[in-house]
Amino acid sequence: MRGFLAGVRLQAAIVRAEYDVVLPFFTAPLFTIIFLMIVRHSGRHDLQPDALMAPVLMTMWWLALFQGGNFVTSDRWQGVLEWALATPVGLPAVLLGRIGGIMVFSLVGFFETWGVGELLFGVGIPLEHPLELALTLLATVFAMSGTAVAFAALFVLTRNAITFMNSASFPFYVLGGVFVPIAILPGWIQPVSSVIFMSWSADLLRASLKPAHIDNFWGRLGMIMLLGAISFAVGRAVLNLVLRRMRVTGELVAV
Amino acid sequence: MTSTLNVMRHAFAAGVADYRSIFTWRSWVFGWMVRVVAQVSFFGLIGLRVADDRSAFYLLIGNALAVAAQSGIFSLNMTTGERWAGTLPLLVASPTSPVVVFAARGAYLAVDGALSAVLALFIAGPLFGLHLPWPRVIAVIPLTGLVALAAYCLGTFLAGIVFRFREINGLVVNTTYVGLMAACGVNVPLSYYPRAMEWLSHLLPLTNGLLAIRGVFAGDPASTILGHAALEAAVGAGWLTLALLTFNRLASRGRLDGSLDYGA
Repeated sequence: MRGFLAGVRLQAAIVRAEYDVVLPFFTAPLFTIIFLMIVRHSGRHDLQPDALMAPVLMTMWWLALFQGGNFVTSDRWQGVLEWALATPVGLPAVLLGRIGGIMVFSLVGFFETWGVGELLFGVGIPLEHPLELALTLLATVFAMSGTAVAFAALFVLTRNAITFMNSASFPFYVLGGVFVPIAILPGWIQPVSSVIFMSWSADLLRASLKPAHIDNFWGRLGMIMLLGAISFAVGRAVLNLVLRRMRVTGELVAV
Repeated sequence: MTSTLNVMRHAFAAGVADYRSIFTWRSWVFGWMVRVVAQVSFFGLIGLRVADDRSAFYLLIGNALAVAAQSGIFSLNMTTGERWAGTLPLLVASPTSPVVVFAARGAYLAVDGALSAVLALFIAGPLFGLHLPWPRVIAVIPLTGLVALAAYCLGTFLAGIVFRFREINGLVVNTTYVGLMAACGVNVPLSYYPRAMEWLSHLLPLTNGLLAIRGVFAGDPASTILGHAALEAAVGAGWLTLALLTFNRLASRGRLDGSLDYGA
C-alpha cells in the first residue's frame, strides 16, 4: 500500500510539472466542438450525448497510452529504473499507483467536455442513469489502468515505442466504437472489437445517457472489468518477465 | 545563393536520415499508414452514422486532407529535436540562418504528409464507395502537396514562436492540428461557422486547398479550382514570410538569455 500511495504522490508531482500530461485536456474541447458541429449540422441532435462522450474516452485512452504506457520506458531512459527496482517496495505497486493516479486524473476530461458542450452549444451530458454512468466510468478507469500496464510491458519490448504510441490511437477509436457503435462496423471486424474493453465501455456509457432501460447492465459492466483484469494480468506477467531478463542481462539502463 | 542551396540540400538529407531512423518501411506501412487510414475511416464512419454516404464522403475527403496539414505542422517538433540532441546552440551560432536550415530540414514532412493523405484518400475512399473521377482525380495529388506545404510554412512560423519554450511544444503541435480540423471546413462547410470565423479560416492553411479538392470531386470549372489553389499558395507564402521575418530574431533572443540549451 505504501508503494501504491508513493506512486500516486509521484504522479501528482509529475502532473504539476509536465505540460504534456495535460495535452489531451487541450485537444478534448476541440474534438468536442468538431463532433458536436458534425451531429448538429446533420440535424442529428439525438446524437449529441454520444458526441460528448467520445472525447471523454479519447482523453482517457490518450493518457493510458502516452503516459501510463510510457512509465517504465521513460524511467529506463532517465536512469531511475534500476534504483526503483533496488528499493524494498515492489515496482508493480508503485507502477499501479502511478497509473491509477493518472487514470483518475483523466476523469477531468468528463467534466471538461461537459462544460465545453454547455458553454458553446448549450448541450450537457444527460444524467438519465447517473449511478450506471458513474459505475461505468469507474470500471473504464480500472480497465484503462490494466491496459496501460499491458502497454508498459509492450513498450519496454519495442525498439521504438513512440511509433507504436502514435499509431495506436485512431485504430482503437474505430475498433473500440468510441463514437460509432461496433454494430455499424463490417462483420469481420466485430469479433476483434468485442474483445476490446473500450467497445463495451463506449456502448454502456452511451446507453447510460439515454432514457431507455439498460439491458444486462451488470453483465456488460462485468465484461469491462474482466477484459481490464486480463490486460492487467498479462501486462504484469510480461513486465515481470522482461524486468527479470533485463536484470540478468544488465539492460536496465538504456544506452 | 549556391551556398544557401547547398545548406538546404544537406539539411533536407539530414531530415530524411532522421525520418529513416524513426520509421522502417514496415513500421510506416503497418504503423503510421494503418493509423492514418483508421483516422480517415473513423470520420467516414461518423458520416455514415449521422447521415448518409454523401456525409461520409464529405468527412472522408476533409479528414484525408487534414492528414497532409497535420504532418506539415509536425515540423514544430524539429526545434525540440535539435534541443534534445544538443545541436540547437551550435546551429544558432553557425553563420547559416537557422530558418533556412529548419525550412529545408523538415521539408520531408510535407512530402510525407502529402503522400500519406493521398494514400489515405485512395485507400479509405473506395472502401466507403467514394467515386474517384478519372482522370480529374490526378489533380488531387499536386493540390494535396500544396496543402502540406502551406501547413509546413505555418509549422515553421510556429516553430520560431515556441523556439525557447520546449515544454509547450507538444501542446502547440497537437492543438494546432486539431484546431485546423475544427476551423478549416474539414468536417462541416465553412458557411456553418460564424461569419468572423469563416473569414479567418481562409487565412489558415488547408481551408482553400480543401475547397479546391472538393471542387475536383464536384466537377467545378478549372478556373474555380485554380483560384482556390492560388489562395492556398498565397496563404502558405504569407506564413513563410512571417517565419522568415521572425524566426531568426526569436532564435537570437534565446542566444541572449541562454535558453537554447537542453538544460535551460
